[in-house]
Amino acid sequence: MVDRGVQLGKLEQDLRKGVLVLAVLSQLRTQQYGYSLRQALAQRGMPIEEGTLYPLLRRLEGQGLLVSQWQTDDGPPRRYYELSAQGVEIQRDLTTAWGSLASVMDRLLEEED
Amino acid sequence: MDPKAIINSYVGDVIRHLPRRQRNDIALELQSLLQEELAERAASAGRPADAPMTMELLSGFGVPRDAADRYRPAGFTIIRASDAPRFTWIALGGIFLIWAITLPAALLGVTPIVGWDYGADTWWGRLTVWWLGTGIGALWWPGAVFVYALIGALAGRRRESGEIPWKPTPPRAIDRDLISRPVGALYVALGLLGVSVLVALPSLEALAPGLPRPVLDALALDPEFLSGRAPWILLLWAAILAVYVSVLLTGRWSLIALRIRGLLGMLTLGIMLWWVAGGPVFVSAGADTTAKALLIAIGAYAAFDAALALRRGWTRATSATPLKRSADSPTSRS
Repeated sequence: MVDRGVQLGKLEQDLRKGVLVLAVLSQLRTQQYGYSLRQALAQRGMPIEEGTLYPLLRRLEGQGLLVSQWQTDDGPPRRYYELSAQGVEIQRDLTTAWGSLASVMDRLLEEED
Repeated sequence: MDPKAIINSYVGDVIRHLPRRQRNDIALELQSLLQEELAERAASAGRPADAPMTMELLSGFGVPRDAADRYRPAGFTIIRASDAPRFTWIALGGIFLIWAITLPAALLGVTPIVGWDYGADTWWGRLTVWWLGTGIGALWWPGAVFVYALIGALAGRRRESGEIPWKPTPPRAIDRDLISRPVGALYVALGLLGVSVLVALPSLEALAPGLPRPVLDALALDPEFLSGRAPWILLLWAAILAVYVSVLLTGRWSLIALRIRGLLGMLTLGIMLWWVAGGPVFVSAGADTTAKALLIAIGAYAAFDAALALRRGWTRATSATPLKRSADSPTSRS
């Protein structure tokens, strides 16, 4: 029998996985580098492991949703990411989809209550 | 070890698993990010970063290969979950079939041993030669099945762009026990023809005196085989013929017919092995070796067919039982 805590942890992780991309895109309307983005997400209640976030940024860039550049203005060289034109559109569409999904889920869960 | 050296070593191991063109860029970024993460941890802990702290950070990031995997786009499936059991059966079944045919052939001395003197005439010597040759060699089969699956997966991946919409197939009644009478009749006729040829073999010289002497010599059966082991096959053939004729008349395989077919298949395997192990079948050594290889193949086929028939019989019996029970149950009578 699977431990309840472990099972809940896995299911919650799956739930968070689904919104991870939208959470990241939402914070990249302005330029951020990996570490600052992680901090920003954590401060807003969405902590993401570094091992998950940093590769995700690269993959989203590979899909054309982000653009990046190295900057060495004040401090060590850092790679900054922000939404590309395609990323802006996708982020907008995903936000709409999330809104409708969240309201459907709210209704479903209210019915349960 | 210096924390910076640990991070450099980790980053080096991660980028080893990445495409060359991405390595430098990802290495630079990862080093920079990990150093910032470490600095934050050190600041939170109120002490300078050390090796244990660095290792803790890196263990959270995952082993280098896993970390590198996360940088790559999702791969593609070679064997789908729904195909996995069939793949396993085909891969392992093929190995066992090759072994089932070649191992008895090797142990019974049907397969000649060439270039191996040590224990060549003992069972363990033959077993060694078999294992080092066909035994291990049979592993080519799962490799071939895997390559086939890989080609299928690659072709399927190419098709995905223009995916063909699914269409329902019209319903059709599948009755695997139903036989085609013309095909069945042809099968029985061919069987009878084969049996007639084999029965005529001992009298070949009298029946076809015009055949060249080397052919007659090559097809001469061993007298001991003819008087001892050969006649038993006639009983078996008669039984097989009776079963097939009855199936031909009824038009379908009944449960009892399937069971008898299974039993006769096992008996065929037994007789084939007895013929092979019991001494020479043909007088000529060359014909004898070839015939024994064929007999083993026939035995293996008979065993396979028997297993198939018994499994079908068993499936029918088990699927029929609950129906029968429910028909007999008080609920169904009411």
